[in-house]
Amino acid sequence: MSHSKNENTFSRRFFIKTSSAFTALALVPHSIKAFYNDIKETYFTKKVVLPIYLKINGKDYNLNADSRTTLLDLLRENLNLTGTKKGCDHGQCGACTVHINGQRALSCLSLAAMMQGKEITTIEGLANGDNLHPMQEAFLEHDGYQCGYCTPGQIMSAVACVNEGHTKSIEEIKEYMSGNICRCGAYNGITNAIKSVAK
Amino acid sequence: MFEILKNKGRIEGIAKVTGKAKYSAEYALPNLAHGVIVGSTIPSGFITNINIEEAKQVPGVIDVLSYWNKPEVSTFDNPEKSKKIPAFHKYFHTTKINYSDQPVALVLADTLEDASYAATLLKIDYKTEDFNVNFHESLKDLELKPFKAERGNLEAWQNADYISENEYTIAMEVHNPMEMHATIAHWTAENKLSLYDKSQGVNGVQWNLGRFFDLPEENITVNSEFVGGGFGSGLMTWFNTVAASLGAKLIERPVKVGLTRPQMFTMVGYRPTSWQKVKIGANKDEKLLGVLHHAAHNQSKYNVYSRDLSGITSKVYAFENVKRFTGYSPLNLPIPTWMRGPGDSSGTFAVESAIDELCYKMNADPVDIRLNNIAPYSMDSGKPWSTHYLNECLERGAKEIGWDDRPNQPKQLKDGDWYTGYGVGVGLWNASRRNAGASIEMKRDGNIIVRTAMTDIGTGTGQAIVNMTHEFLGIPREKISIELGNSIHPKSVTQGGSWGLSSLSGAVDAASTALKRKLADYAWGKSEVTKLDAVILSDSGVAFINDQKKSVSYQDIFQKYNLNEIYVEEYSNAGGEEEKYAFCSSAAHFYKVKVNVVTGKVKMDRMVIVVDGGKIINPQAAANQIIGAAVGGVGMAMREKQEVDLASGRLIGSDFAGYHVTVNADVPIIEVSFINKPDYNRNPAGAKGLGEVGLLGSAPAITNAIYNAIGKRFTNLPVTPDMIV
Repeated sequence: MSHSKNENTFSRRFFIKTSSAFTALALVPHSIKAFYNDIKETYFTKKVVLPIYLKINGKDYNLNADSRTTLLDLLRENLNLTGTKKGCDHGQCGACTVHINGQRALSCLSLAAMMQGKEITTIEGLANGDNLHPMQEAFLEHDGYQCGYCTPGQIMSAVACVNEGHTKSIEEIKEYMSGNICRCGAYNGITNAIKSVAK
Repeated sequence: MFEILKNKGRIEGIAKVTGKAKYSAEYALPNLAHGVIVGSTIPSGFITNINIEEAKQVPGVIDVLSYWNKPEVSTFDNPEKSKKIPAFHKYFHTTKINYSDQPVALVLADTLEDASYAATLLKIDYKTEDFNVNFHESLKDLELKPFKAERGNLEAWQNADYISENEYTIAMEVHNPMEMHATIAHWTAENKLSLYDKSQGVNGVQWNLGRFFDLPEENITVNSEFVGGGFGSGLMTWFNTVAASLGAKLIERPVKVGLTRPQMFTMVGYRPTSWQKVKIGANKDEKLLGVLHHAAHNQSKYNVYSRDLSGITSKVYAFENVKRFTGYSPLNLPIPTWMRGPGDSSGTFAVESAIDELCYKMNADPVDIRLNNIAPYSMDSGKPWSTHYLNECLERGAKEIGWDDRPNQPKQLKDGDWYTGYGVGVGLWNASRRNAGASIEMKRDGNIIVRTAMTDIGTGTGQAIVNMTHEFLGIPREKISIELGNSIHPKSVTQGGSWGLSSLSGAVDAASTALKRKLADYAWGKSEVTKLDAVILSDSGVAFINDQKKSVSYQDIFQKYNLNEIYVEEYSNAGGEEEKYAFCSSAAHFYKVKVNVVTGKVKMDRMVIVVDGGKIINPQAAANQIIGAAVGGVGMAMREKQEVDLASGRLIGSDFAGYHVTVNADVPIIEVSFINKPDYNRNPAGAKGLGEVGLLGSAPAITNAIYNAIGKRFTNLPVTPDMIV
């Protein structure tokens, strides 16, 4: 399936207007209905499924994905990699943080189709087999969580925070971890965990 | 089942840090369909029509559930049964709209993308009616009614040496746990419903859905093994659970309904907007004489929730005269519900602020006046406190924050544009205990599994069970695993109200005793052993304390009686102790703030909290819980405010950009310590519950500290920078 070049020139309002107009004219000849359907097929936005290639946690995935699918929904709904969490779907909470080419990024604001060929690491890919990543160990040791829902995002951000070198003081860690909301308020443990790894 | 912890932290810790923990929306069921709830765009009136034609043209859309095509449920054929279903579970059984974003339809599709897109295409016609969403305006016509019997006499203190009177308002606050509420509903047979639901109490959901579908409870299973926070939002069974179940029935497929963050503001409760007026009096000897407390909060037109904000007023201090009035304004707003420290956190803000104000008038020390006026017994019931160490909390907290450095007048500590101030606030909460059940299953190798329906919303219930079981039985922690948050396990009260651990400890103790009894009977003959206290379980067998000869291995027992497992199941509840004693947990919050009078920024410089929660079962998680509650207190005091658009009746700040919660940089490393003295009258663990006292007293400690810094008294929360400058 392909997009029409002209899709943006027709608004949804136009579609609704024409659509209801045609619905009202229930007795119009078949040829006109067919003509209308042809127009709709040609001009209006529809579901587009794209083949995409992704590299997630070192594993290759060749998938067909809805062009509207975010990386977050692709991970959670299509691949059952539910460690990456949805906390707002607006890029406001950090729960969906993953690494894209080694940088922390919000998977809810990243369209899956734009991740072609990029290296994605999620919480599931952080440990080395049964050996936890030092940051995961530190979160356990410092009780850097309560309910655990924001935790994968916190840990992915925390690893990046250390890699970025933003760990010179408690204040700096707190500043650079403030894109990840923990509504349980386990900020002591999160901050201390990062401090212990950064040493 | 949780992995048995080999290294450190909580028993479910590895699942949480590796992403393996499954929350309610994360179960992959075959043939799962997605449901998106569509809410009304008007605050009052009727739906007259929903045109679904366009939505149904979207590829992947299966159906649109609404009033017009809801599946038949026998409950609604029976007027008596139908009457018992709460109105807020009947949104698909009515066309009446009582608030904006009241659910009106559920769009069902193969994928989330299809459902979300189609949800934007519904055309809904309404007949609108007048509405009222203005709480403060509604107070003018609201008649407040006396709350509880008057204590003493209002007239007795109207000529007191010192009187202070003020009005207080607190904005609508929304729980917003990080996990958005979600339900997967699956009819596994004609009359059998399996639910994965975000809930603080699986048995409550089971009961509610059983009532809705007129099915016996055992036909409904509810799994909430991991719950991504609650703070009260998961205490009620909300409409998303009902909608998913109806949707699954309609299309005969499992259905997942996940709320969006904006829907989290309208569909799963909030702390209502409140107004209070508090007048207190004291004499020259710094004795608090009396209090007059008026309070009101908003309700929804769906009149589900009311909570008296002044309940706390008669509990903490020895006021001989207490008079209270209360009222509720039903408005065209979503349904409020219990939120951490319900009622009392609002009431505490007013009373703790009023006492602080009084202290400046009479030149008294806010710590001394509290110490000198703590209620020596429960003045509500007349019963003695079982244990109560608020005085120690205050003394230790004052020492730790360096209270002696606090100037007794405002505006004394200045460094450029920054002013420093100190404040104190006190929190107290009934330490209650309710029904809970637990089972223990022992395997041949001596490993045991403890099971309960009670959830763990992040408080550390699982690890607490491990610690208590270890203490009651002697079995090493690494041989204990836990299964919880599922209605297939022994029934337990909903987790909330600071009663979770207290309730559960009774059940775990009873099950532990039953296991000892069974093992002793197997080992040494029926009823041979009368003193179970002397029986101790090790990793390999059952023994008598100080009598190695009487030791019998589990292997021998299992072999001799040809057993596969040993199973015990017990239930417990509060008992006669409530006839004799009153119970409470308490905390003292000591905060130091720095206030910039040019930018209006308030920086939390130090936060010291000392807590009496009885015996602390799980020290790291307990401190964490208090820290988190205080983080919520910072939000309540200075960030969180849901605005209502008076013209449209819609909520304005319905996401984390419009509604600000406390982030990491907003708080320092918070300093928590515990008195840690057991209260064995309350339960076998000696624990009193911690869920609320970390919040109660937190907000007034902040505004009291701000007053100490800059001499401005804030009585309306939240205090934002524009109010400071």
